[in-house]
Amino acid sequence: MSDQGSLYRRLLAWLLLPLLVLGTLMLVLAYLDARRTADRAFDRLLEAATLAIAEQVQWQNERLWLDLPPAALEMLATSAEERVFYALFDGDGHFITGNARLPGDPRGDSEAVDTLHYRNVDWRDLALRQGIRRTRLEDWSLRERFEVRVAHTREGRQALTLALFRGNLAYIAAMAGLAVIVVLLAVRSALAPLTRLRRAIRARDPRTLAPLELPLPRELAELRETLNELLARMRRVRANQERFIGDASHQLRTPLAGLSARAELALRQDDPRAWHDALRAMQSTSASTARLAVQLLSLTRLNNPEATPELQRLDLNEIARTATRSALSVCHRDGIDIGVETTAGPVMIDGIDWQLEEALSNLIDNARRYGARCITVRVLDAPATLEVEDDGPGIPAEQRLMVLRPFYRGRDGVEGSGLGLAIVDGIARTHRARLVLNDARDGKGLRVTLRFLGDHQ
Amino acid sequence: MTKSLCLLLCLAWLSLPGLADERLHFPAAPSDGEPPLSLIVHGALDLPYVKPVLEDFHRRHPHFELHYRNFTTLELHRRFLDDDEEKADLVISSAMPWQYRLANDGHAQPLRTASAEAWPDWARWRRELFGLTFEPIVIVYRRELAERFGAITSHADLLNLLETRHQALRGRVVTYDPARSGAGYTYAIEEVRLSPRYWDLVAALGGVDAELVGTTGEMLEGLAEGRYLIGYNLLGSYASDFIATHPQLEMVIPRDYALVTQRLAFIPREAPHPEAARRFLDYLLSETGQGVIGEQTSLGAVHPALEGPGTARELRTRLGDALRPIRLGPGLLATLDDLKREALLARWTREYQRWSGRPRPHP
Repeated sequence: MSDQGSLYRRLLAWLLLPLLVLGTLMLVLAYLDARRTADRAFDRLLEAATLAIAEQVQWQNERLWLDLPPAALEMLATSAEERVFYALFDGDGHFITGNARLPGDPRGDSEAVDTLHYRNVDWRDLALRQGIRRTRLEDWSLRERFEVRVAHTREGRQALTLALFRGNLAYIAAMAGLAVIVVLLAVRSALAPLTRLRRAIRARDPRTLAPLELPLPRELAELRETLNELLARMRRVRANQERFIGDASHQLRTPLAGLSARAELALRQDDPRAWHDALRAMQSTSASTARLAVQLLSLTRLNNPEATPELQRLDLNEIARTATRSALSVCHRDGIDIGVETTAGPVMIDGIDWQLEEALSNLIDNARRYGARCITVRVLDAPATLEVEDDGPGIPAEQRLMVLRPFYRGRDGVEGSGLGLAIVDGIARTHRARLVLNDARDGKGLRVTLRFLGDHQ
Repeated sequence: MTKSLCLLLCLAWLSLPGLADERLHFPAAPSDGEPPLSLIVHGALDLPYVKPVLEDFHRRHPHFELHYRNFTTLELHRRFLDDDEEKADLVISSAMPWQYRLANDGHAQPLRTASAEAWPDWARWRRELFGLTFEPIVIVYRRELAERFGAITSHADLLNLLETRHQALRGRVVTYDPARSGAGYTYAIEEVRLSPRYWDLVAALGGVDAELVGTTGEMLEGLAEGRYLIGYNLLGSYASDFIATHPQLEMVIPRDYALVTQRLAFIPREAPHPEAARRFLDYLLSETGQGVIGEQTSLGAVHPALEGPGTARELRTRLGDALRPIRLGPGLLATLDDLKREALLARWTREYQRWSGRPRPHP
């Protein structure tokens, strides 16, 4: 049975099919039983008829002699008007008289006196029930053995069998009906909590994430607990999102308010120089606000679990070089020394090039902003690793986890969004890489390591 | 065995004199609608008795081509079991045990029509064997006998008369020879079953040296000529026709008991035209067909709806319990048992000779 389909139907099938098999079995047994009973009843006729005939067998004129009593044959035919056959055979199996040369007793010779044997035979396309009495004369001196064979067709037996079977059929049908009703009720009541759970879920306010509170049987209580755990996780996620949105809007509002105030101040003055200064300041603020917006956007995109970007084979050396090259001019302007250390051969991973470049550029940017004079971008092999090391002030060990959260800023007074490391963290998670913050090798500065797990080849 | 051959030979005497292998043929008349149907009937039933029925049937169903062949009961039985002979669609015979045995052995096929279902239980076996007629076994005597000794109305009267007037009746009584006649043998078996006093009657018949003959016809001829005064156990259907033309004879159905024999009909399993046979047998069992049997023949109609002269119902109201139709059941098989026959005939001969060479006790 497939995993789809109705649970109700599956239960019914598993309960009713065995019931059906059982019912059929009972019917067959009832029929066989009725047949046995009918045979027992009608075999008495064979017994009486053979006895009535055997009693008339005598020794006369030097041979077996029978004055056949018509009543013996009449008793073999009931109201069903069976066909009747009889025969008398002597001890050696020679036919003496009869209206049919009926087959004999298959048991072979037995010394027992007066035995009676019943059996079903097919004789000349007729299904017969046969009775064979093997006995002998009880004369003064004669002990001649002989065999009386009688048979009749099965109409009477069939009629009695059907009558008995019909009687049983009523009982069996009533029992089967009762069993089906009980099964239906049982399945319905067993599945009722499931319906209750479904109704409870459906009736909930779609916005609420409160845990489900309803009494359920043990098997469903586990499901309810799992659901509640999921809901709790969703509550946490939503809280995070709300905080993020709050932070983001706060972050955006501050520079926008600054822009507005600056423009207002400039409008009050008549000096074009002042306008010029104001415009320059506004340009700088709006540029940083735009950057903030871009970062927010990429962070949102990275955190979206629905987006599963296509990974492709790429060389980390290539990424490191490209990122370093694009950061070169800015660093040069600020007088920062930036260099790249690559491995001799290519280091291939599955990843997204623009994300990794973004991560590197964020790290380089961070180092630059926090006052590094020398930045090294490094690629290591086995395992594949990207590293950015600087000689800046570094981050105290206890803050290294906190800085990964959005809008956290290690030190006040430094211009920046507080999103850079959060974005790098998101990118690392997308690539199933581990992000580790360490002290630089010479003890001064920060070393950020992205170690790609698993899929390095 | 010679005995069974002998038994079969006796069958020959069951039917009345008449030429063996008589035929009747009704060609199919051109008819619109219904295609012509062929029907072959083999019977042990003389042409005058069967002709009215065939004529009536053919008038109603002219598209039937009817062939009727009359045989002796022996010939009929022999032909039926002979694979090389022409197969019949319907077999009618008065030899009840033989007909029963054929049906019992599975040679007949059932007829399931409304008429067959409604047929009285005592006159049919399963749905295969149907008793079409109702023919009592009668006593026929000359009127002069009644004038001298009084009328005979029962077996008791007859026994009494035979015992008291055995001198006057010596050689003047006639009956069936059970050893030669299948019919006589069948009646003897049935009468023994009815009462042990039958043996007294046999002894009395022996006491008057009753003539033993093979057929009802012989008895009737002898009675008409005056050779016999009393005929015992004659087939009523034939006797009543004969008496109608011979006023010197009187026929009586004994009022203490009277055997009744029937013509049994069945459709053989191997009938070449079973559909036609079913139509014809259904007609014979219908009120129409039975009406023809009752009115135009002396065979006696069985159909329970028919009343008036020539019907079983009229006989039953007149004679009541005295009528003993030969029971259509497995008991008939005992009649055909070779040893049974030997035993009965031995006893019969012994009883017949009870008084020969011995002084009779005077009643």
